[in-house]
Amino acid sequence: MSELILYLNIIRRNPIYLAGLVIVSLFVVVGLIAPYILTRPGDAWGLTYDINKRLSPPSLEHLFGTDEYGRDLFNRVLLGTRFSLVIGVGVVALSLAIGIPVGLIAGYVGGKAGTALMRVTDMFLAFPPLLLAIALAATFGRGLSNTILALSLSWWPWYSRLIYLQVSSVRNLPYVDAAKVIGISEARIMFRHVLPNSLTPVITQATLDIGSAILEASALSFLGIGVPPPTPEWGLLVSSGWRLISVAWWVSFFPGLAIVITVLGFNLLGDAVKELMDPRLRNLLSMRRV
Amino acid sequence: MPVPREYVVKRLLLLVFVVIGVLVITFVITRIIPARPEFLWAGPHATEEQLKRARQELHLDEPVHVQLYYYLLDFFRGNWGVSWRTRLPVLNDLLTALPATLELVIVAFLLASLIGIPLGIYSALRYGRIADQIIRVLTILGASVPVFWIALIFQTAIGIWAGVLPAGKRVDDYLAYITGFKPITGFYILDSIIQGNLPVFIDVLRHIIMPAFVLSIYPLSLSSRMSRSLMIEVLNENHVRSLEVWGVPQKTILFKYALRNVIVPVIASLGLSFGYTLVGAFMVELIFVWPGLGYYAGMSLLSYDYPAIIGVVILVALFYSLINLVVDLIHAWLDPRVRF
Repeated sequence: MSELILYLNIIRRNPIYLAGLVIVSLFVVVGLIAPYILTRPGDAWGLTYDINKRLSPPSLEHLFGTDEYGRDLFNRVLLGTRFSLVIGVGVVALSLAIGIPVGLIAGYVGGKAGTALMRVTDMFLAFPPLLLAIALAATFGRGLSNTILALSLSWWPWYSRLIYLQVSSVRNLPYVDAAKVIGISEARIMFRHVLPNSLTPVITQATLDIGSAILEASALSFLGIGVPPPTPEWGLLVSSGWRLISVAWWVSFFPGLAIVITVLGFNLLGDAVKELMDPRLRNLLSMRRV
Repeated sequence: MPVPREYVVKRLLLLVFVVIGVLVITFVITRIIPARPEFLWAGPHATEEQLKRARQELHLDEPVHVQLYYYLLDFFRGNWGVSWRTRLPVLNDLLTALPATLELVIVAFLLASLIGIPLGIYSALRYGRIADQIIRVLTILGASVPVFWIALIFQTAIGIWAGVLPAGKRVDDYLAYITGFKPITGFYILDSIIQGNLPVFIDVLRHIIMPAFVLSIYPLSLSSRMSRSLMIEVLNENHVRSLEVWGVPQKTILFKYALRNVIVPVIASLGLSFGYTLVGAFMVELIFVWPGLGYYAGMSLLSYDYPAIIGVVILVALFYSLINLVVDLIHAWLDPRVRF
């Protein structure tokens, strides 16, 4: 806890890091309250339309302009924050839920089962990151939970490898030997001693990966295999303005800008954390997404 | 240090297993789709009878493992199955589309290393100053931008509104026709040089520069960030600092001692980002109407053309694994600390 305060103090002194922290906090807060602060909820959820106002450029009444159905884009982008938050957190949480047990068993139990698990992990890592997600998303069909599932299934091997490396080093530490000598059960050592001491880099990395998850989810939606319309997901909004862009640039522009700012926030924060962490951790973290 | 042959053989064998694994995973997941491809195969006005025959021809009524057997048979016969959409052997389709994608990706990587590495080194030399801060923020920004969005922005602003560069396609068809340009290798830059066709060469460059730059933004940011942090690390190492103390000129230190420690790992990491960029190329191709793998994959996805989708995935995964292998071998060869 005191470390956290120390980190926050260092972040506060650097304007770049501070910007990252502010963006991410804002993203989380807006994501949580978005459905309750909409001025035009019907437009945001895609339930209403007003053909007379279609494709009006940004103005005081419609800050980001309107789309081809005359829906207010500002409200849609605002609500999109909620979807990005759900997708980002969902992907990371589900990936951890798969990756941690696999890495823990492979690293602590080892043996034939452990080797087999790591071979499976390697096989999944043989796919370029987004490619497997595309194949899976195309298979599962459009939908919020399908998108989260497709991304998680292509994402977990990173965490399983990270936790595997951590566990393999932690399990050889003297206190684990000591625990064995005094007769604590293997399962208890694994869950109570090895796992908690291996989690920090994985959880840190996962939190920072929320930005990348949002980026990849938006790519799926852009390709038409992510979240279905009329969901105001940012990637989908960019794609909905694709064919209109030379006459109505704002339809694609603002949702894309929302993605850039959010992901930028996570990356700035990630940079800060990587600089603050000790070099051992930094080396581990830099493995992700080289 | 020379790389032991056993290590190379072991890695190649592993590659074969990985490819087979990729093949099986992809095959199984594409067969979970509840779509009904026999409609695609038999045409829109097919009778019940024809649909039934289509199901038989495509082996759709067999269990998944039997379907996999038929697919593996096709795969090792060397045609990778027949596309249900174009009705041509998938491998043919892929090889036709591949040069367009590779040309795009190669130019993007050239841009990424030629701009990214000097930028990162400059940033390191100005460590903590304003130029360093600006470059850092720009490169973090570059890693945060969705490629499809920035592609759309560039295409609209530069290609359509300003009209400075062409907004899509690989070459002006009319110009290619009147100058008698013929694709030989499929790499248009190379083809136009072989044929000594200067107008087409310039036109091809004008077409490729915008999509390639858009695609290079991510690897460019990556190489710049990596060369910056490596350079800072190297400049702080004792052997480099003692050179400084001895009065060796900074230029000599930089180019003779520091640079080689930076370039190799950066190129290696660029190699590893190849797969990511290849998939990014899919979206760039869709936007810039670039007739490569991505365009083909997009069309195949829309029509549930399983053999084509599997083909694209396997080809890309194969490239990705091969590049990883080559990067590891080069690394092992150049870096005496790597153990086998």
